[in-house]
Amino acid sequence: MKMPDLATTGSDIRLVRWLAQPGEAVERGQPLLEVETDKALSTVESILTGVLREVSIRPGAMVSAGQVIAIFEVAAFSQGRRLKAKGRRPAEAIVAPTAVAPPAASVAAPPDSPAQTAPAPAPVQDRSFLLSLFERMVLIRQFEERVKFLFLEGTMPGTIHQCQGQEATAVGVCAALERGDWITSTFRGHGHALAKGLTPQELLDELFGARTGCCQGKGGSMHVGNPDKGMLPGIAIVAGGIPLAAGMALAFRMQKSSQVVACFFGDGAVAEGAFHEGVNLAALWKLPAIFVCENNLYGASTHVGKVMRNTRIADRAAGYGFRGETVDGNDVLAVYEAARRAAADGRAGRGPVLLELLTYRLTGHSRRDPCHYQPKEEREAWLGRDPIQRFAARLQERGDVSAADLEAVSTRVQARIEEAVAKSRLAPQPTLADLETDVLA
Amino acid sequence: MKRLGIAEALREAIAEEMERDPRVFCIGEDIGVPGGWGGAFTVTLGLEQRFPDRMINTPIAELGFFGVAIGAALMGLRPIADVQYGDFLLLASDQIINNAAKMRYMSGGRLKVPLVMRAPIGATGRGAQHAQSLERFFTGVPGLKVVAPSNAYDAKGLLKAAVRDDNPVLIFEHKLLYGSRGPRAEAGATDATSDIPDQDYTVPLDRAAVRREGSHVTILAWLLMLHHSLAAAQSLAARGVSAEVLDVRSLSPLDYETIGASVRKTGRVVIVEEGPKTGGVGAELAAGITERFGDCLLAPVVRVASPDIPVPFSPVLENAYRPDVPRIVEAAARLA
Repeated sequence: MKMPDLATTGSDIRLVRWLAQPGEAVERGQPLLEVETDKALSTVESILTGVLREVSIRPGAMVSAGQVIAIFEVAAFSQGRRLKAKGRRPAEAIVAPTAVAPPAASVAAPPDSPAQTAPAPAPVQDRSFLLSLFERMVLIRQFEERVKFLFLEGTMPGTIHQCQGQEATAVGVCAALERGDWITSTFRGHGHALAKGLTPQELLDELFGARTGCCQGKGGSMHVGNPDKGMLPGIAIVAGGIPLAAGMALAFRMQKSSQVVACFFGDGAVAEGAFHEGVNLAALWKLPAIFVCENNLYGASTHVGKVMRNTRIADRAAGYGFRGETVDGNDVLAVYEAARRAAADGRAGRGPVLLELLTYRLTGHSRRDPCHYQPKEEREAWLGRDPIQRFAARLQERGDVSAADLEAVSTRVQARIEEAVAKSRLAPQPTLADLETDVLA
Repeated sequence: MKRLGIAEALREAIAEEMERDPRVFCIGEDIGVPGGWGGAFTVTLGLEQRFPDRMINTPIAELGFFGVAIGAALMGLRPIADVQYGDFLLLASDQIINNAAKMRYMSGGRLKVPLVMRAPIGATGRGAQHAQSLERFFTGVPGLKVVAPSNAYDAKGLLKAAVRDDNPVLIFEHKLLYGSRGPRAEAGATDATSDIPDQDYTVPLDRAAVRREGSHVTILAWLLMLHHSLAAAQSLAARGVSAEVLDVRSLSPLDYETIGASVRKTGRVVIVEEGPKTGGVGAELAAGITERFGDCLLAPVVRVASPDIPVPFSPVLENAYRPDVPRIVEAAARLA
């Protein structure tokens, strides 16, 4: 195994200690070594699955990216870490919504269960539907984990912005949409794409820059999308998709169609002028748009409390005269129900809705970010609210879903992704003849 | 056949295209207001009576409503978005440059953005922030077409071609050439009226036009500078200099076929541009001509442009700022 390229600043990396010893079996994703860089400690996860045979670097020594650091005996089928379907049931209580925004300092803790303006509808009961939500979330998590290691291996080009921990927002919203509805996304769009029905294959191919990718290799990780499946290429300029979504919704209205558009953006987008202009126009014209703010508490490394006085983002809707709702974004069914209400509002001509989905990014902002700005207690609290583990626990309470059923989902997804990865590695790259095509229609 | 100014010709073009295609609509500031202005320069005056559902008046929010227009275009409509003053395009430039111009490429050719954008420009007694020449900021953007009509015939034909084109097209219009009437009329306006045929026609988005034939020197200009260049050519003729005047008209892409034919004939080039000299469209033209036809040039390419300063307010300073007929005559005469 070679040392992954970690340092954004090009600083020296010093090995502090090995977290596994020669002779031990190691899984991909398992913490393998601890290093010090930029005066901070980071854990480096194993890229490989197999038996650690030999370590080539001693604690205290300097190590550089690309250097061979350990010898593995690699398992024939590298599986990576399984998702544990039977996670502990999170101990969150349903607390009455607070009328006023919490002070900025309190936002660091996981939020209380949010305010809901509409009465809670009867919970969804259909077993296969619920399992399909679970499978979509597992697909996103495993896709992102697999992609992370493809980057660390150095086989995948570019940069990545991943969404581990935010699977319930993408899946809950997209499950509430109809086939002809659209979404817009951001630079963090892999989850949205998978939730909207893009295949892991067309996504992976795009990430590899292949011509068989969903954007023929011309978009890349930050611009994944597929119009045939109702997803624009991701808009990687923060808040840039918000006015576009208003325009798409205007088109639906002018075409007398019942379609709606769900526009994903992060908490960082709320400080942009495009947010203000876009939601104001949609509210003014009562357009069928769902503005989905995935509030994961950080714009890149900066906490929301440092960029806004009122950190309850849903409050902003009232200022423009439309409905806003804060929802537990790690509860896929709460997200689904809220998105369904919002879509119904849009189709009925009641105008847009701002959904603030409270969630947390369990991975870096981009590929080399070790998240040192996330306080340990905050991170651990959110790890206990993992949307997939929570939903798994809830499913198992039904009596007709077993741990084995969920494990089977995980295994099926794993095989699907491994198959796609194998194909993607061989996918055809663009040729020079593709360089200057598709600029003008 | 009738005689129309640019504002009227554009209005007729918009109305005819909206009549022809229900997907066409207008979006912008101060449009569709009964008793209002029809945009800043009367172009859309009265159209709300004919198309009440397709004249969408917006708040003052250029970033927002240009984004809206692009989103609507992506969903199959064919919007015509306009700003009151071209200077405000800078507010919308993220949407224009990052979204409209790149969406087709980013999607691997799966999407198209059939969008028309209209922007009035030119130094007209309004000082630094309502009178810039903004072509330079948009001509170097792949995925965007840029045109600039200097007369009513072209204005109508180019707008119609732009509406029917599947790409984002930005039309720069000059405030002194509109021929706007009533309270929106411009002092010091230049006559840009044309005879407009009764039948439907378009003007291609990628062709320059020879406005006056000559043999000693080629003068390249567009918008107001084209009119000054034609006047200059007349003075030059009196001094025995035969100037060929080209209306560049299509600023992106540039029509090097028409330009090249003229350069090969005369071997001398004067480029006249209203904006500042540094980094202007003229700089691109000079480089492109030198690369392609350098061996035909009998003298280095000359640019006549405004100095590298913001547009001044005082009429004394503004007149000194903008290239005028004597400066063009002098430059061409020295070259020929």
